Amino acid sequence: MTEALVVTGTNLGVVISLALIAGGVIWLLVRSLKGKEVERRVIFGFVLIAVSAPILFPITFHEQISPVVKAVFDKIESLPAGSTVAISFDFDPAMAPEVQPMANAFTRHCFAKGHKVVFLSIWATGQSLLTSTLDTVVRREFPEKRERIDWVNLGYKAGNQGVLNVIVSDLRKMYPTDVNAVPLDSIPMLAEVKAFRDLSLILAVGGGFPGPKEWVLYVGDPGNVPIAAGAAAVTAPQLYPYYPRQLIGILGGIKSAAEYESAMVDKYPQFDSVDKPGLRMMGPQTLAHMVIMMFIIIGNIVFFRSKRMRSQL
Amino acid sequence: MLFRVAIAFACLFIIAGVAGQPAGDTALAVQQTIAPVTSLIATNHEYDNGTGIDLIWVPSIDDRLAPSRVTGYEVWRSVVGGSGSRIAELPAGANKFTDEQCSRESTYVYSVVAISVAGNAVSISTAPIQPAREWINLHRLNLLAIAFLVSAAVIYFIQSARSGKKLFVRKIAGLDAVDDAIGRATEMGRPILFIPGIQDMDDVQTIAAITILGRVSRVVADYDTKIKMPVSRSLVMTAARETIKASYMAAGRPDAYNDDMVSYVTDEQFGYVAAVDGIMVREKPATCFYLGAFFAESLILAETGNSVGAIQIAGTAMPAQIPFFVAACDFALIGEELFAASAYLSNEPKQLGSLKGQDVGKAVALVVIVVGTMAATIGSAWDVTFMNQLWSALKVVFQTN
Amino acid sequence: MESGLMHHVALWLAAFLTLGIFSFLYRDNTWYKVCEAIFVGISAGYWFVAYFWDNLYTKFWVGVWVTPMADRPDDWYVLYVGAALGILMLLRLVPKVGWISRWPLAFIVGATAGLYLVTYFASNVMLQIEDTVRPIFGAENDAPIYEIIGNIVVAVGTFTGLIYFFFSKEHRGAFGRAAKVGIFFLMITFGASFGYTVMSRMSLLIGRMDFLFSDWLKLIK
Repeated sequence: MTEALVVTGTNLGVVISLALIAGGVIWLLVRSLKGKEVERRVIFGFVLIAVSAPILFPITFHEQISPVVKAVFDKIESLPAGSTVAISFDFDPAMAPEVQPMANAFTRHCFAKGHKVVFLSIWATGQSLLTSTLDTVVRREFPEKRERIDWVNLGYKAGNQGVLNVIVSDLRKMYPTDVNAVPLDSIPMLAEVKAFRDLSLILAVGGGFPGPKEWVLYVGDPGNVPIAAGAAAVTAPQLYPYYPRQLIGILGGIKSAAEYESAMVDKYPQFDSVDKPGLRMMGPQTLAHMVIMMFIIIGNIVFFRSKRMRSQL
Repeated sequence: MLFRVAIAFACLFIIAGVAGQPAGDTALAVQQTIAPVTSLIATNHEYDNGTGIDLIWVPSIDDRLAPSRVTGYEVWRSVVGGSGSRIAELPAGANKFTDEQCSRESTYVYSVVAISVAGNAVSISTAPIQPAREWINLHRLNLLAIAFLVSAAVIYFIQSARSGKKLFVRKIAGLDAVDDAIGRATEMGRPILFIPGIQDMDDVQTIAAITILGRVSRVVADYDTKIKMPVSRSLVMTAARETIKASYMAAGRPDAYNDDMVSYVTDEQFGYVAAVDGIMVREKPATCFYLGAFFAESLILAETGNSVGAIQIAGTAMPAQIPFFVAACDFALIGEELFAASAYLSNEPKQLGSLKGQDVGKAVALVVIVVGTMAATIGSAWDVTFMNQLWSALKVVFQTN
Repeated sequence: MESGLMHHVALWLAAFLTLGIFSFLYRDNTWYKVCEAIFVGISAGYWFVAYFWDNLYTKFWVGVWVTPMADRPDDWYVLYVGAALGILMLLRLVPKVGWISRWPLAFIVGATAGLYLVTYFASNVMLQIEDTVRPIFGAENDAPIYEIIGNIVVAVGTFTGLIYFFFSKEHRGAFGRAAKVGIFFLMITFGASFGYTVMSRMSLLIGRMDFLFSDWLKLIK
């Protein structure tokens, strides 16, 4: 749902890139219709231009929030200030460009609403990405928020779904201490949180195994805790059957992250100046999608044309 | 009788005074300007590990005024023989609470304090209570019953198959293509490539793949076609060699078999993919089979196979990978079809029985969905009592919490 | 100063590796192979270290030797069972007694199957059926049209999808037609899934390009 196109930066670069792509697509169509093979490297070249141009000459869109994303936003809004929310970083660097913007937006939103946040990861690779969110978002943008009073980092714990199966009913059994070996019993914000079923909301950010689906199966359903997913687009379709009953909302891929960032800026204008990778990536994403759609259309035209020609022979 | 009641109340007051009386500025308010909560009862929380106690009470009479004079409630707990502490703060109007942080070894006494701007009111304390553990969660009896039904069906069909009864399984479309694809490779004089996924023998998809390999290698042995099978797990290598060897023996050509048909590459996902891609580019197989558990490598393999002009037959139960196989391969066994194909080809009682047993589960689901949706729609649109009752009954049967 | 230097070295290294992996798009080459080998080696090493410190050290060593007896949970000795199963698993490396490694494997398979059975049955079967059974339109008939269509799609899609995966009956007549509708639903789902995957992969490419242009080449702020 693109509302308005706001072109920032140099328009010239975008115009040149668009002209290049349009010319290339016409060339591709003509060549394909003539029955000549097109090297796959040419296709890669088009995608490269489509992705690079809007990064170098940024195009940003305002995203209209869709109901499935809005459900997550509204849930965080509706919780009374001081509620305890968990954000789980279940992803690796390969998935990070897609889902870390969601984790960062969730973190900002929770702190802006005055919630207390429990950070954790059930992926070994999630630990360092969690630390990067703590450094770039929590400590930089919310210096007034104190560790172990307003937020706590539980760190990584091996055991996949086994970890989830335990923390739903007993947090301290799996996490006797936080990441810095401070006993959970001495952490003020966790005094009332004996298990994950005591939390007001869990934001499961990830896309592999274990991921949001396992949070639903092992924590959400048995513990009756609301779960929202921030998922890599690859796995998003598999999460829809759980919405809205078992998952209160889903952010699927960078498009949803951009929608969330737009909603954040609308509600909290102070976040207009922070980095919004979701929105930033929607320019290249849109252009790349348009190019791919062109390829699909050209491919189908050529396919059906050659099929008809074969049947005529 | 009256005397006993008086004694009991006296005891409760003593216990409350000694152990249950909350300490602190809020609880020790002297002026009871509002009425306390009444009928406070503590009961063991059912079907847990002995960690929960349920409290229920009638809210303060002052809570029923509009606007309420009560601003909230505090729940106080004390261990008999120990000191008391506040365990929860609840909003006005609350009339129940579950304490889930109890220990089976301790006995507890509870009281509820009604809070108001003018002052607080402490309730009479509960009788001492010790939480108990239950071994079976009767709230989940429906889950047990349905799981039992499906398991019983599986066991019944396995036994039927073992006793020699012929169990019907419909023909799987993609399987017809197998013989043609092998025939094509034979005519072209090029090898067949068989990839059994990247999981070990503990994955049921790999087992299904090896079963189908039995059939494929039998045709290969009959046609005298070449087969190449790079694998990513050592156990799979052993199992695959045994399977192909058995097929060649059955075809009466044990001499044509050699161990090099199956080779171990590496456990590492993308290392394996790189090697398989290399084999495809160099040997240009006429037919590629991708059957088993696949992850991100599915599209890379299918793309490379496509680029060398191979006929491709794939099958996996990994939901995220099926779309790639459907798009890039000539035939695809979707999800459970992989297991069905395996059962169909092997006629193995366990596989056939499981498939048929699951069909019973699916039949139940189909009936429930049709009947339930009709009942829910008719019931709610035209307010038909019987239909609404039927809908509610079905909801109860399938509820798990 | 040193951290600044290290930062630059890390940046150049990351750029070198990214471009190396991208070079495969042109064709397979030594640069790509070097980058792939580094990636495989580092990921294996990272997992080894993570598992060592989190399981062997923090869980087992600290649990059995470091934690004072008074602070241990009642069932702390269970850690020995886990350690014993781990050692049995390692026997796979000794060909003569390698078969013993099947025992811990059997434990894992059995325990996982048990854990899955209950959760999958509850969440993926019972709750899903319960949620599919809902009125297509309500009493007041005021449900928006898109919601009614949505309800019909869910009911018909689930029903026909199940029919397609029903193996005890031949796909003929009305049953066959229902199965055909089911496969249409499946194909639409696969299409949506493929579309989502394109978005996913593009995001990763954009992430890398963003790194090259902004962090490495500093072409954009």
